[in-house]
Amino acid sequence: MVKHIIPDTLSEALKYLYQGDFQVFAGGTDLMVQNRSWSETSIEFTKNMLYCFNLQELKGITAIDGRIEIGAMTPLETIMNHPDVPSLLSEAIGEMASPAIRHIATLAGNIGNASPAGDSLPVLILYDAWVELRNMAGFRMILLKDLIIGPRKTVMHPEEMIVKIVIPKHRFDFERFVKVGGRKADAISKVSFAGAVDIEDGKIADLRLTFGAVGKTVVRNETVEGAWIGMTISELKNGIWRLIDMYDPLILPIDDQRSNKHYRKTVAINLLRDFVDQL
Amino acid sequence: MQKDISISVNKIDNYEKISGCAKYVNDVQIEGALYAKTFRSPIISGEIVSITVPKLPDGYFAVDYRDVPGKNGVKIIKDDMPIFAEKILRYFGEPILLIVGPQKSVVQSLINKIILETKLIEPIYDESNIAINYHYEKGNPQNAFSSANRIFEYTYQTGYQEQAYIEPQGMIGYSEGDKITLIGSIQCPYYVKNAVLLALGCSSEQVRIIQPAVGGAFGGKEEFPSLMGCQLAVAINKIHKPIRLIYEREEDIEVTTKRHPAIIRMKAAVDSDNSLVAISSDIRLDGGAYLGLSNVVLSRAMIATTGAYTIPNVDCSGIVYLTNTVPNGAFRGFGAPQIFYAVEMFLNHIAKDLGIDPLDFKMKHLAKQGDLTSTSGTFRDPILMNDLIKRALEISDYRRKSQKYKLENQLRGMGISLFFHGCGFTGSGEATIIKAQVKLHKDEQDNVDILIAAVDMGQGVRTTMSKIVAHTLGIPMDKVRFPYPDTDFVPDSGPTVASRTTMIVGGLVAKAAQKMHDRWQNGVADTVIEQYVQPDYIVWDEATFHGDAYPAYSWGVNIVDVSVDKVTNQVTLEEAWSVYDLGKAIDDLVIKGQAEGGITQGFAYGYLENMEVKNGKVRQKNMTDYIIPTALDTTKITTELIDNPHAGGPYGAKGAGELTLIGGAPAVAMAIENAIFRRVHNIPVTPESIMELIEYGNR
Repeated sequence: MVKHIIPDTLSEALKYLYQGDFQVFAGGTDLMVQNRSWSETSIEFTKNMLYCFNLQELKGITAIDGRIEIGAMTPLETIMNHPDVPSLLSEAIGEMASPAIRHIATLAGNIGNASPAGDSLPVLILYDAWVELRNMAGFRMILLKDLIIGPRKTVMHPEEMIVKIVIPKHRFDFERFVKVGGRKADAISKVSFAGAVDIEDGKIADLRLTFGAVGKTVVRNETVEGAWIGMTISELKNGIWRLIDMYDPLILPIDDQRSNKHYRKTVAINLLRDFVDQL
Repeated sequence: MQKDISISVNKIDNYEKISGCAKYVNDVQIEGALYAKTFRSPIISGEIVSITVPKLPDGYFAVDYRDVPGKNGVKIIKDDMPIFAEKILRYFGEPILLIVGPQKSVVQSLINKIILETKLIEPIYDESNIAINYHYEKGNPQNAFSSANRIFEYTYQTGYQEQAYIEPQGMIGYSEGDKITLIGSIQCPYYVKNAVLLALGCSSEQVRIIQPAVGGAFGGKEEFPSLMGCQLAVAINKIHKPIRLIYEREEDIEVTTKRHPAIIRMKAAVDSDNSLVAISSDIRLDGGAYLGLSNVVLSRAMIATTGAYTIPNVDCSGIVYLTNTVPNGAFRGFGAPQIFYAVEMFLNHIAKDLGIDPLDFKMKHLAKQGDLTSTSGTFRDPILMNDLIKRALEISDYRRKSQKYKLENQLRGMGISLFFHGCGFTGSGEATIIKAQVKLHKDEQDNVDILIAAVDMGQGVRTTMSKIVAHTLGIPMDKVRFPYPDTDFVPDSGPTVASRTTMIVGGLVAKAAQKMHDRWQNGVADTVIEQYVQPDYIVWDEATFHGDAYPAYSWGVNIVDVSVDKVTNQVTLEEAWSVYDLGKAIDDLVIKGQAEGGITQGFAYGYLENMEVKNGKVRQKNMTDYIIPTALDTTKITTELIDNPHAGGPYGAKGAGELTLIGGAPAVAMAIENAIFRRVHNIPVTPESIMELIEYGNR
């Protein structure tokens, strides 16, 4: 018999996680769909469920010491409208699902779900976001890009849960997020892109590029990005074909019911080129 | 002097719909109702070797073909679709049996435990199983082709379209003695009734069909609910308890009827002064696993093969082939969206090949009053297409924008489509098949009830009919009532399909109201029954496709301005304009609703809604993957009407429901073609296909 637990405190939740195999339920907007059943019947989860909606300590956003900390149970809509949240993240959330979903869905859920098409992921990874994981014994911080290792796969241990997302505060000189969905709202990404640049004394001081829905996880490569540090924007523009060549082997999309790999790959490259063109 | 009937009133179901108190089938509570769920074919093509149903707990039942007391065939045209599969399974999801019982979770687990042994049969997806083959000619096409100056030939392809009504299919029923009552989300109460009569082999008074509020239909609830109605009636007949059969969205998308995918080959003969002298077309519809209404869809497509134009010589062939895929069926437009897409693109392509302006080329061939139709009937009423086009060009600034976008070469384009829709059933169908009857009843308080089988599925029939009656009788709207159709009380005024309701049924209602008006006595009850009489000028030979296919035609012009994103190849509708001649609007706002909804659905058919059936299964089987437009995907739509009253319709009204969908796809496809400077042949023109066209397409 599957257990359904609604803890009131984080420590209680962690105790359950320690004791048995539980599926953590944040907003539930993906879990409910993945486990859908005949209407008016209760969903038949195959794992024990730990519902986190009463964990007040996981709700809220704080800005401290050059970083933003977002509690795991903070709804997307709250995050989107928060003044300290990086603009690119607000923009990405604004294109996720529909307002109703955004009022209950969470960033932690988008991360834990680890879908290659998760719309917050390219932006969070671009910002070098960290995830704080907790268990009974303590906590560890892990870079988001190291947390997700494949479609629906993370390196989280069964007794761990995401308690917050930590985003280093940074204002880029130029940044952009583009989601390409099947329509203008309420769609799952066919491909997405985020890019950001800092320029100091006419030279590239920081360059970050991420691609969503074109591989098993978000595509980001710091070696490729690093190769352009210290160069000028016009050198980057002139080297666009070299840049594209560097990403070409990294962008490996699939065919599915939403799009095909040729389109996904071409658009990902187009988005990269367009980003550089606009600099 | 009475005010103009077109001036809008508050739609009479606004309150119940907006407040949420409208009762749809799933809101109908019947004490002790059991739940039914369908056990479906898990294979695409094969034979049933054995079925092992688990031991059923008390109060649970399995219902299959052996329980059908009458004919195991759903009544439509050839009744070829079984109510429950007997031996052969022809598509993935074909119904085999129902499990019925008091608890959903138990019903579901019983379904999960059914063991089905099958022998696979190689599925057919190609044209090898031809069920229908039609052909007709006008003039002498052979001569025209052999003496033509130039001959053009192109092929066009259209995809599936899912009706995506907001309320999935559903029905609930109960029995009282030997009488069975079904309440369902349906378009055609009498189709369901007649189908159930055949299935049960019982007499007419033993079956009653009631329509509650219906949350959209778009043709999807024309013939499909007859299948559910038969299954449910058979189950009730066996179990003698109330039962509900309500589909989930995915089940609905996977197994209910859709718009027929079509391949249309067109050939034209053009003489030395760039006149179209002959057209030859070959229309191939994928019917899916069963014929259903497919031959009628085909014939409606074939009749419109010359589009809004007069072409002296015509050679038209069509087939319906059956495949091991979900059966296709009725969908708003009923064959017209496919053929008008093909004809509009074809004339556009011929003009481009000739190096002349496509719109000028089309206008030169426009049908005029007195011309012979494609089937050698006569366009009897005035055709105002020139006025419609003139006005559409004015309000859209089409000519200037087309030219400007062409020169700028910035992936922006204008598209225009010219089209008509034949109102009512084809040929003599109204007189020979439907024989519509309407009834008005006035009580002693002078309240008037409209007793017809027409279903308001959101299109506004209740408002439209009430307005016709109130206006004709000169009484206030609140003295007129339109109870939801119930076959025990309303005569068979025919199905709510084919853009016939306002013109044909509304025409009869207006006549009945006039009769009631002429003999009106305050405080005295009165009943008027009115029967359809075919105008004697309608002569139609169904076998040869010769004569007047329709009593009247509605006409339209759609223009759309689109941009294509250079980075993502996504399409944005920038603005749209329409001008229609639908006789006379009974209510301006109801028509505006039809116009905006129809064109949006038509545009989406052209560029957005993508459905593929791969290895016999629908790939986009939920509302996440089957993309329909949201409010953000639509655009500013300007709609104007030009009155052209038709003598046969109430206050001159003709059909409007389907017309507004037909021009969307060709207009948007043409706009995309003009934006990307590549020939478009297939719809939907998705970003993926735009990318391919830009890379490999012909200019």
